[in-house]
Amino acid sequence: MILYDYVLSPDCYKVRLLAALTGAKITLRAVDFHPGAEHRKPEFLKINPAGTIPVMEEDGLVLTDSSAILTYVAAKAGPEWLGDDDARMRARVAQWLAFAQRLSASIGKARTHDMLQKPADIDACRAGGIQCLREIEAALVEQDILGARFLAGDRPTLADIACFPHSMLAPDGGISVDAYPAIRLWTRRIRALPGFVEMPGIHRLHDLKPEPAKA
Amino acid sequence: MTSEAIRNEWYPVALASQLGPEGRDTRLLGEPIRVDWAAQGRPRVRAADGREMATRLRYGHIWACPGTPSRELFDIPEADQPGRRLVDVGVVRVKCSPLRAVENFLDIAHFPFVHTDILGAEPHTEVGKYDVAIREEVDEVWATKVHFYQPQAAKSAAGGITTEYMYRVPAPTVSILYKTCPPRPGEWDVITLFVQPLEENLCEVWPWMALFDDETPMTDLIHFQQTIFLQDRSILENQLPRLLPLDPGMEIPTRADLTSVAYRRWLKRRGYTYGAQLVAA
Amino acid sequence: MWTPVALSRDVPPLVVLPVVAGGRELALWRSASGRIAAWADRCPHRGMRLSHGFVRGEALSCIYHGWSYGAAGNCLRIPAHPDLEPPETIRVAVHVAAEAGGLIWVAPSAPEAPPPDPGALQPLRSLTVEAGTAAVLSLAGLAGDTLARGHLAGVEVTVAVQPIGPARCALHVLTGAAGAAERIALSRELDALRRRAEAGEMAA
Ligand SMILES: N[C@@H](CCC(=O)N[C@@H](CS)C(=O)NCC(=O)O)C(=O)O
Ligand code: FES
Ligand SMILES: [Fe+2]
Repeated sequence: MILYDYVLSPDCYKVRLLAALTGAKITLRAVDFHPGAEHRKPEFLKINPAGTIPVMEEDGLVLTDSSAILTYVAAKAGPEWLGDDDARMRARVAQWLAFAQRLSASIGKARTHDMLQKPADIDACRAGGIQCLREIEAALVEQDILGARFLAGDRPTLADIACFPHSMLAPDGGISVDAYPAIRLWTRRIRALPGFVEMPGIHRLHDLKPEPAKA
Repeated sequence: MTSEAIRNEWYPVALASQLGPEGRDTRLLGEPIRVDWAAQGRPRVRAADGREMATRLRYGHIWACPGTPSRELFDIPEADQPGRRLVDVGVVRVKCSPLRAVENFLDIAHFPFVHTDILGAEPHTEVGKYDVAIREEVDEVWATKVHFYQPQAAKSAAGGITTEYMYRVPAPTVSILYKTCPPRPGEWDVITLFVQPLEENLCEVWPWMALFDDETPMTDLIHFQQTIFLQDRSILENQLPRLLPLDPGMEIPTRADLTSVAYRRWLKRRGYTYGAQLVAA
Repeated sequence: MWTPVALSRDVPPLVVLPVVAGGRELALWRSASGRIAAWADRCPHRGMRLSHGFVRGEALSCIYHGWSYGAAGNCLRIPAHPDLEPPETIRVAVHVAAEAGGLIWVAPSAPEAPPPDPGALQPLRSLTVEAGTAAVLSLAGLAGDTLARGHLAGVEVTVAVQPIGPARCALHVLTGAAGAAERIALSRELDALRRRAEAGEMAA
């Protein structure tokens, strides 16, 4: 599996994260998204005419959407991440995978605007981002009432992987995450998963490591 | 209106390789400016009233001086040394004082916590004694003999090594570091941070590198440096007060902070206060 | 004056977060043993927000250079100088934090009286509203100020109100005995209340 990757992209990071959590072997091919805008160059458009990353390629299969890529990696390397084989859980996972596109379109855009000077209607992106975070918060509150700690059930699935990165990176786009206690605890649970890897802006839980002994 | 001490400095305003024929509308020291190409590939930087500023095209970037240059743009001799790869890392906007961005770049004690397992890792947190001086003859801040243990000092590094650094501040919003170059003992890799002050609380940062590394693909070099810098961004946007305090009292430096102490003293001495605060608030 | 800043349930051991009380920005955190603390949200070293830090054992560490601070706000360790005994003078400003009835309360210095105790109730959720305290409470039809009481979505509620600014407040909502379906309905009602308050709707 080749992942056309950019280190600062939350949509690429979710694939790297799932691969780390499942042990899937992926080969990274770095795309010069910034400053080179390689994703808009003719060579790249032959692979993905939409000019977006991530893209995954394997044996002639080309996937250009992060939710589809997550589904593929999970199906191959960690089917438990797809959710239980029951109608409600499967549908919930699908719903959050779709929801993640709203996160890219709001928080993702606010972030590339504020960090990398990409054009955006910044007020609309921030308002959309706040709306998304409020929906995730409310959903986590309801899950908690039902005794479930993750978005689609009481164990982590693709739903969590798909929504976790933007939920943490919102401050990069000028969107505060201070007011969401359920999101705070949920993102800590994800960061505590064995095999978790970080990206710039999402650091590991230093509290999991013991204080070094005094010399 | 900013003082002459501030207006007479050189500032990066664009990455030459990314400046298209449409030009770039940006800001410098709180004023709008326009950067574009005049005839014969000569860069041109104009204030809102059309006045042209002194410009230079150097180190991959376009430089401008809004006042009368008090001296020539600083020299990085390594930029012309054969065999080096010159890496345009691209711009990152940060909501912080330009001076806080420079100061963070001069700091090694944060490596184990902010750049964990790359530039540092617990328990290797100790910062040994190093030398700091304001070199009067060139009017620059220098720190030398800085040593630190690093799990992955460069994209090309295979394992942990103790790296030696030298730091140099040749202009108030520019910082250059020289670090041990694993593939080329005896030479130094050069990594810079060119900072464009848009406002006192907002800057655009252009990292740039001149490395000995024939192996690593260019995009991987760019991504390595972007990873490091973006790990710093959330720190820089959350330091209080927003403006860099030049007077002692607000913060508590230790021996590890001597470069920062010298940098602040040097800024204060030359009256460079854009992005700074003088009295402890 | 006590200000409610969070539900106890939402700040388990090792969690640190930023809160605002009485116009001040604080880092609220709980140690491994369960001790709650509220400190000025600024590291004395180079001013990094301590709410971005991490908790190990009974100490809060700053994310920037890892300086760690003990219960009294005293500096315990400077990782860059592992052999240095940090001087007593390095201190974070400590506020008073206390827990009562499933709520965390803070005050700038020890008030005469303990914080109000709402009694034995269940935490539901906290939510921040971009509207002033008075407008939100009257729209909700709740009576009281710091601890407001009434009914929402048919459930008896107690709401601890945290003013954050002239047009922002947080509601920390507790309920009596209620089933899952009722609690979910209440949570949705709170989202609806927020939408109405933020749209500028006034109590009839
Ligand atoms: N539908 C995409 C959205 C990903 C997305 O928007 N990626 C950004 C980078 S993080 C992108 O490629 N943007 C193209 C551009 O900005 O030109 C997915 O989730 O895979
Ligand atoms: S700013 Fe907190 S440890 Fe340096
Ligand atoms: Fe750094």
